[in-house]
Amino acid sequence: MRDILLTVKRQRTEIVIFIVCFLVAFGLNLYSIVAFGTEWKELYTQLLWVLCLSVLFYGIVLFLRLLYWGIQKILHKK
Amino acid sequence: METTDFSRRDFLKSAAAMGGGSLLLSAFPWLQTFSKENQKEVIGEKAKIAIIGTGSRGMYHIQNILRVIPQAEIVALCDVYQPHLDQAAALCPKAKTYTDYRELLLSPEVEGVLIASPLHTHASLTIAGLNAGKHVFCEKSMARTLDDCKAMYDTYKQSGKVLYIGQQRLFDPKYIKAFEMVHNGSIGEVVGIRNYWFRNNDWRRPVSDPSLERHINWRLYKEYSGGLMTELATHQLQLGTWALKALPDFISGFGDIIFWKDGREVYDSVNVMYHYPNGVHMSFESTISNKFFGMGEQILGHKGTIELSKGKYYMEEPKPAPGIQQLINQIEHKVFDNVSFAGPSWVPETASESKGEYIVEKTKTHDGASSTGAVGDGSEELVAAFCHSVITGKPIPSLVEEAYYSSVLALLGIKAMEERVVMPFPDAYKIPYLNHSNV
Repeated sequence: MRDILLTVKRQRTEIVIFIVCFLVAFGLNLYSIVAFGTEWKELYTQLLWVLCLSVLFYGIVLFLRLLYWGIQKILHKK
Repeated sequence: METTDFSRRDFLKSAAAMGGGSLLLSAFPWLQTFSKENQKEVIGEKAKIAIIGTGSRGMYHIQNILRVIPQAEIVALCDVYQPHLDQAAALCPKAKTYTDYRELLLSPEVEGVLIASPLHTHASLTIAGLNAGKHVFCEKSMARTLDDCKAMYDTYKQSGKVLYIGQQRLFDPKYIKAFEMVHNGSIGEVVGIRNYWFRNNDWRRPVSDPSLERHINWRLYKEYSGGLMTELATHQLQLGTWALKALPDFISGFGDIIFWKDGREVYDSVNVMYHYPNGVHMSFESTISNKFFGMGEQILGHKGTIELSKGKYYMEEPKPAPGIQQLINQIEHKVFDNVSFAGPSWVPETASESKGEYIVEKTKTHDGASSTGAVGDGSEELVAAFCHSVITGKPIPSLVEEAYYSSVLALLGIKAMEERVVMPFPDAYKIPYLNHSNV
């Protein structure tokens, strides 16, 4: 086991990725309001759902990135 | 569609904040005792009240008065059954005790009389009280017979005194708000009213001596009581006149003793239908050998349903879920649902599973199981209003009329069951209310 260093660059990258995930989730909320004809106040009343979706998207993206890094490492070793 | 927004706790405060010209007071004029102007009149005053009939219901009222109605003082108690009188006197040591109500009515100290005696005594006690110059609160039902109800009403109108009948739903905040919703069209056109009251007990009280059977268990004998109709139905039948602002034109029904065959004379199972001129039906069903469904009062509108016993309303087209939840559901179904190449050709019309909305926040409901009185059912507000009226001496509009028709509908239901006919509402028992003139 070794110490993991989270550089400022890494932190900024993760924050930007999370912000993008949040914007996608917010965009989905906006789309659903229009598509289903519900109230505009859901832009703020459903923020908890938007946050949950943001975390889900971030998790999916993280999984894909880890997968990509893992494959890259295997190929480099070869 | 505006409705008054109040929780039960804020009921008196909210009602007191309303002026005489408000929509609420014009729709429910018996609430005027809670208006700001009327509340000012009673500051520092106390109504001197006598209780006639200190059995279970009388004790319920005594405990409420002592606990939460500071504008009342119990100055006299009367009961022909000494154990009941003794238990009441223990709670009110300063009150004078009587076994003869006529002596009590002679007392100049008594301003108002609360009658909680068996049903068959209501008419004679109320009429005597009004004629003696006292304000009277008489427990429901109004009286044992149609003629007695009419006699009580006529005496009340001639006396100029205050008369209240124990129809506490008229003071229950969730009923007030529910009927605002009915009258402002929130649930659309009323298309039906269903009342039911199911219990599973023999309705008997312990009797120390067989000679006291008819005295203690008076609810079981036709001479003293109309049974389920006068003891339970009157509470619910008022919903018809209240909601529809009309009288039924025909009444029919069936009553039987099906389970408790113990020598009682009143039915233990009843089913009565009230037909209104616009075709709407109101039903009352009660059986006291099965309690699964408890008590219910349902007003069916073409846009929604109000279930007063649960304190809830349900719209026929409930508000859709937020868009984001609908989107997630849609994606979930597309991904996870099995593809079937044959679905059911007929789907049963099961009851709606909507959870509904509360009529009033933090509402108190009860299942109708108590035979003496439930917490939060409007009884406290009703007696408080009576005490207020005793102080001001002002009769309350519409209150007696609503209670009168409720009692008359119950008694006509009994008549229809006994005669096994479809009975028209007799003109002789119509009073000047709901657009009817005296006949």
